[in-house]
Amino acid sequence: MRNTFFGALAVLLVAGTGSGLGQAQITNADWTGYYTLANRNDLAGTGFKQDAPGEELNRLIIPHLQPWAKARMEATDGVADDTGQVCLPDGIFRYPNMAGRFTWLPERERIVVVFADINTAGVRRIFLNRPHPKNPIPSWNGDSIGRWEGDTLLVDTNGFNDKSWLFGGMEPHTEEAHMLERIRRVANGKLMEINITVEDQHALTSAYTYNRYYKKQPDNAEMPEEVCNEDPAIWKHWRDDALKKQLDRSRIVK
Amino acid sequence: MKALLLLFAASLIMAQPDLHGVYQSIPDRTTLPGGLKNAGSPAAISLLPEAAQQARSIDLKKDPWKMCQPVGPFRMMAKENTKIELVQVRGMIVLLFEDLSHGMSRTIYLKRGHPAKLELTWFGDSVGKWEGETLVVDTAGFNDQTWLNEEGAQHSDALHLVERIRPVLGGQYLEHKMTAEDPKTLARPYSYTRYYKKLDTEVLDDPCQDDQ
Repeated sequence: MRNTFFGALAVLLVAGTGSGLGQAQITNADWTGYYTLANRNDLAGTGFKQDAPGEELNRLIIPHLQPWAKARMEATDGVADDTGQVCLPDGIFRYPNMAGRFTWLPERERIVVVFADINTAGVRRIFLNRPHPKNPIPSWNGDSIGRWEGDTLLVDTNGFNDKSWLFGGMEPHTEEAHMLERIRRVANGKLMEINITVEDQHALTSAYTYNRYYKKQPDNAEMPEEVCNEDPAIWKHWRDDALKKQLDRSRIVK
Repeated sequence: MKALLLLFAASLIMAQPDLHGVYQSIPDRTTLPGGLKNAGSPAAISLLPEAAQQARSIDLKKDPWKMCQPVGPFRMMAKENTKIELVQVRGMIVLLFEDLSHGMSRTIYLKRGHPAKLELTWFGDSVGKWEGETLVVDTAGFNDQTWLNEEGAQHSDALHLVERIRPVLGGQYLEHKMTAEDPKTLARPYSYTRYYKKLDTEVLDDPCQDDQ
């Protein structure tokens, strides 16, 4: 049932962002602003709640891992193998679910999402005016395309590299990872709701779905500057130590 | 009268160009039509004697560039082949750098001035206003973590940057004029000019991996 829904959604997205969608048809909602991952107080009284909040997301994902992926996860060093520890990108499956601070910048044909920890989470660009490239260059944040369905933004992302984890539990994925998001504003615009489905036919036995809520900060709120490697001495130590451990370790090949 | 007002309003709208897009700084040896070319360099700043002495004692191996740290707008905007993306939305313009580790992002706020008390940061506080078709960006409130050039020139928290950015050659290029002043370290204000070519491309991941 889930796969049927997933497939239908993917078809809708690809069809809707094809060449038949003229520029004049794009109407982008102005959700400009600074958003932060909603905490319990932010959600109190709204009727909404985070699925598998915090570290619980690992428990949601792990049962979906294929045996090789679970073995690789268990063999991964959560410090030495964590690119985020050395201020390198660690993909978009992690930061938005834990810290989740970003600025939403809608242009006419595109939405740019700038994460506060730009060193690790980077920038997402959701294109409303084109389909996925036939051969996307695998990247940390993948290739995102979107289309509006009423008040909901449907985002389809593929083209990931296989270097990031699905979450902090070191769950691996392959370049076949595919993420669908249904994004809308709820609670009179005070919250952004993102319903996320992830599938990966080479790493997961089945797709998994969860949601996240982000609080819209006041219009005059500004995302503060975050620099990951503020102390180069510490950063050098982390990096050198991590690289040495990586060289020393035998790797499990899928 | 109504027509005049409409004309005035239209001229105001037309005077603020849409700068959004991806741009890349051209090499110094390139000359554009009309004789436009890069001029000046962070290497050519004049330091006060004490600052010059400090620069000579700096361990150049600790250059933030080599540590994958942000290098600040003054150095970053002057680099050859720097790829930037301008995102223009309500109330602000965001500069994104393909070289995320060194450039990161800069937000230029268009609807406010600097706060009365500035928190010192790596990129400072940037506010902008339009003068015709030129975006004038004023940045202050830097911490002392970045260098002014690769020769180890330091700056103080009094560093103040003014950038004048405008489209030229029919919008195919951006002209970027940077002026830095810092009465605590610079003998005099220093300006350089860079031209950025508009590209029909998208920005990719480009993390800093090694000492560069």
